[in-house]
Amino acid sequence: MPNENAILSFEELEIRFTLRGQVLNAIRGISLDVMQGESLAIVGESGSGKSVFTKSAMGLLDANGAITGGHIWYGGKDLAQFKTEKEWLTIRGKEIAMVMQDPMTSLNPLKTIGDQITEAVLLHQGLKGEAARKAAMDALAAVGIDEPERRYRQYPHEFSGGMRQRVVIAIAVACRPKVLICDEPTTALDVTIQAQILDLIKALQKKLDLTTIYITHDLGVVANVADRIAVMYAGDIVEVGRCEEVFYDPKHPYTWALLSSLPQLGVKGQDLYSIQGTPPNLFYEVHGDAFAPRNPQALNIDFVERPPFFQVSPTHKARTWLLDPRAPKVEPPEHIRQLRQKGGYPHG
Amino acid sequence: MAETREKLLEVQDLQVTFGNKRHPFTAVDGVSFDIYKGETFGLVGESGSGKTTIGRAIIRVNPVSGGTVKYQGEVISGKVSRETDRRIIKNIQMIFQDPMASLNERAKVDYIVSEGLYALGEHLSEEARQEKVSQALADVGLLPEFASRFPHEFSGGQRQRIGIARALIMEPQFIIADEPISALDVSIRAQVLNLMSRLQKERGLTYLFIAHDLSVVRFISDRIGVIYKGKLMELAGSEQLFAHPLHPYTRALLSAIPMPDPESERKKQLVVYDPTQHGYTEDDPPLWEELEPGHFVRGSRRELEGYRKVLGQ
Amino acid sequence: MAIFRIKDSKTQALADSLDRQAQRQFTQEELFQFAPYDPGAGERGGYSDYSYWRSTLRAFRKNRVAMFFLCVILATLLFTFLEPLLPYDREPNTIYYVEQAEINLFTRKPVLDEKGNPVMKVSRATDRAPGEEFWFGTNSIGQDLWSQIWSGTRNSLFIGFSVACVDALLGILVGVLWGYVRKLDFLFTELYNIFDNVPQTLIVVIISYVLRPGMGTMIFAMCLTSWLATARFIRNQVVIIRDRDYNLASRCLGTSTGRIITKNLLPYLVSIITMRMALAIPAAINNEVFITYIGLGVPLETPTLGNLVEAGRKVMGEAALRYQLFIPVVILATITISFYIIGNAFADAADPKNHVN
Repeated sequence: MPNENAILSFEELEIRFTLRGQVLNAIRGISLDVMQGESLAIVGESGSGKSVFTKSAMGLLDANGAITGGHIWYGGKDLAQFKTEKEWLTIRGKEIAMVMQDPMTSLNPLKTIGDQITEAVLLHQGLKGEAARKAAMDALAAVGIDEPERRYRQYPHEFSGGMRQRVVIAIAVACRPKVLICDEPTTALDVTIQAQILDLIKALQKKLDLTTIYITHDLGVVANVADRIAVMYAGDIVEVGRCEEVFYDPKHPYTWALLSSLPQLGVKGQDLYSIQGTPPNLFYEVHGDAFAPRNPQALNIDFVERPPFFQVSPTHKARTWLLDPRAPKVEPPEHIRQLRQKGGYPHG
Repeated sequence: MAETREKLLEVQDLQVTFGNKRHPFTAVDGVSFDIYKGETFGLVGESGSGKTTIGRAIIRVNPVSGGTVKYQGEVISGKVSRETDRRIIKNIQMIFQDPMASLNERAKVDYIVSEGLYALGEHLSEEARQEKVSQALADVGLLPEFASRFPHEFSGGQRQRIGIARALIMEPQFIIADEPISALDVSIRAQVLNLMSRLQKERGLTYLFIAHDLSVVRFISDRIGVIYKGKLMELAGSEQLFAHPLHPYTRALLSAIPMPDPESERKKQLVVYDPTQHGYTEDDPPLWEELEPGHFVRGSRRELEGYRKVLGQ
Repeated sequence: MAIFRIKDSKTQALADSLDRQAQRQFTQEELFQFAPYDPGAGERGGYSDYSYWRSTLRAFRKNRVAMFFLCVILATLLFTFLEPLLPYDREPNTIYYVEQAEINLFTRKPVLDEKGNPVMKVSRATDRAPGEEFWFGTNSIGQDLWSQIWSGTRNSLFIGFSVACVDALLGILVGVLWGYVRKLDFLFTELYNIFDNVPQTLIVVIISYVLRPGMGTMIFAMCLTSWLATARFIRNQVVIIRDRDYNLASRCLGTSTGRIITKNLLPYLVSIITMRMALAIPAAINNEVFITYIGLGVPLETPTLGNLVEAGRKVMGEAALRYQLFIPVVILATITISFYIIGNAFADAADPKNHVN
């Protein structure tokens, strides 16, 4: 049963795709509670299923994919049981909204920015005419777009990437959703703009009392925004914890690998820690720990049995046999220990 | 010091203009820098700053509308002789940003990797060609049997390494890496960066590394040029630049680097760069000056005075 | 090729070894010891043995409707060639005569001789309804429609295929150069603008007057103009893909224009080119029908669907003779629809996006 503080709750969720006659196990039994008002980051490399996972909560799976097991609880309803588009329309946009990676694909290039925002306002706030226009203008101002009067009449191509992403966010929150899913919201943007967009989302979260879910492949960008972090690998969550716990005391070898391969932590002239190989092919059944073949410190049992979650603290758990009392003691890589000891990274 | 090293590439007053005569758009304006043999020169800027255009102008995909590019002292911009053309193709290669878009989806890896060999005009036997392909794949850590597969069978990191193998088979001296890792997952970036530095050590390669992320550039580059709206703002050795960032734009870039550390992130102060803050006038136009050995900054006389004071402290 | 296949089986072996590792029996103690680490193992990834053409064919074969129409077209094509060999052999252009009762033109009753028997007279077998003797009946001058229709279908298909082939050859060649070689763009665009503004009908009229009317003239006249549109179409497609990174990469590698065209551009255009060709065939056939309708078609001694439809149209007013229009129209419609559906289905099948299922 879902946690009572959770606004959105995934329970043993399984999602499969059929591709050229083969079955792909995209999500392999994930349980995760998203707490009311928190900001949760789901981190994983491409193909880990992080986008599929969150899209399932909006009924946006591709036609060849389906929820084959488990539940998605939201507001007392099980979204996994939804069949029709009509049911999804009661949730999508109104309750749970999404900001995609590439703002250009989420905007209609043939309509003015103003029209697109007004449309969202009309649809969800029931305003008309001048009132809708006013509301749209306010929405533009609220996401930090200067001169909304002039911007209102412009087309998406007249906006820079960062500005477009602001518009997409304005449209997403125009419907006053309770949950905002941000799928790689800054990946397509320049570093300087990235930070501004993240700040904007943070500010909106406070102002509108949103619950936000960030999806990203870059652990580096979520330190600033996430309350909790869930690390995903090969269709499964391997570690969940509060932001500090995951950064300063990670337990899963995959989290170690993700953290220590960040160039920010690299020492010039030395090789960065790098994860060898590629993620497993989910067409094959995964035995044991999916990360084992790429993990130099894998145990024999990792190839045989899927590890359970070991609780590290009340808020922190990881799916790795290394936490089993019978396992040999393995220290995290040097970089991570340094991060923990210094409690920070030396700025230039 | 720097002067004793061999200049491999000299870019002088480079200008690249797009569009037609009525609506010209100057993407790169008066950019000059040298790249020394064996070093990695990082070029950092936001999208639309002209950094990619510079790379493409050097490899002659984009036509140059002003200035010159010299490779080993020989002018390679504009019209060149057939031999020079061959020589440049062999010696200068490029690694592209998006491994999904930069490989021909309809060709096998075998063909993609050996594509350059056809242009070199060496008539290789089929066996020798396959041997070279296997070697190039092995050099970038891929299995030789991958040669018979199509690109879409591979992950982003593997595809990027195929792209590197394709460049390596030409045995170039100079490689332009245009955002080679920004389309990759963080977990894969390290692989590619390590591979690039290993190849540099083994073969004495020279890189022009183009990126928008200063943290990556700092890790791999010896010297860094910061570019904004088609003009260089600051150029310095990478540690020099991180120790004394002078130009406000450089400082803005530095402040935006995301740190994998919640505590320092919470204390972070973003610096926002406002291009109008300089207050350049006719009497006090921006200059490009070397303030300490190897450290160039763009600024008006008044600004440069201020920068000198910062350095003096 | 063989070498690679063996090497790929090595990858499979690597995969198998991992599976074996998973199935090995460990003691409790061994379970928590470090496993041997092979960096290559993680590299194996997935190998789906995908081949573009195989997947295209599979996707096409899955489309039942298209497969049906493909059979229809193949059967039609085959039959037009087999038909002259059948025992029912009537030459299409021969006018047939039969002995039949003479009809009084005024009373519309058979003329009787003194004994009361109808007067028999050998006359042209005109406008005979389909029946045992003439399977599709005869036309208004007494030619056998069965033979005429199959011979006409054969001729029309020949026109269609010829025009489509020239269309494809010239159109692709010019279109690719036009799109890829920037220096030619301006020149070709201007030439296109000039020639495209000359109505095709006008050219056909002039050609028919200058040259002797016939199939060759017809094909020549249609080819003269139709490839322009194809070239323009190909040019636009090439412009869309020419600056993609993989083409820039080829340019950086010094790959020649010819090689870029054959290896980088055309393979990406296969699906739209086949689609266009599939539509060009019925378009040429229909075009021939139209040209015949305006009276500039091939001479009557060469049956084509155009001639047949035109002949049928003339007698359309009389209900009993409408079979002369219907039969060629049904054949024409079948061919057009078949090509349209096959073309669409193939274009879909050739799009890698549709190879997922």
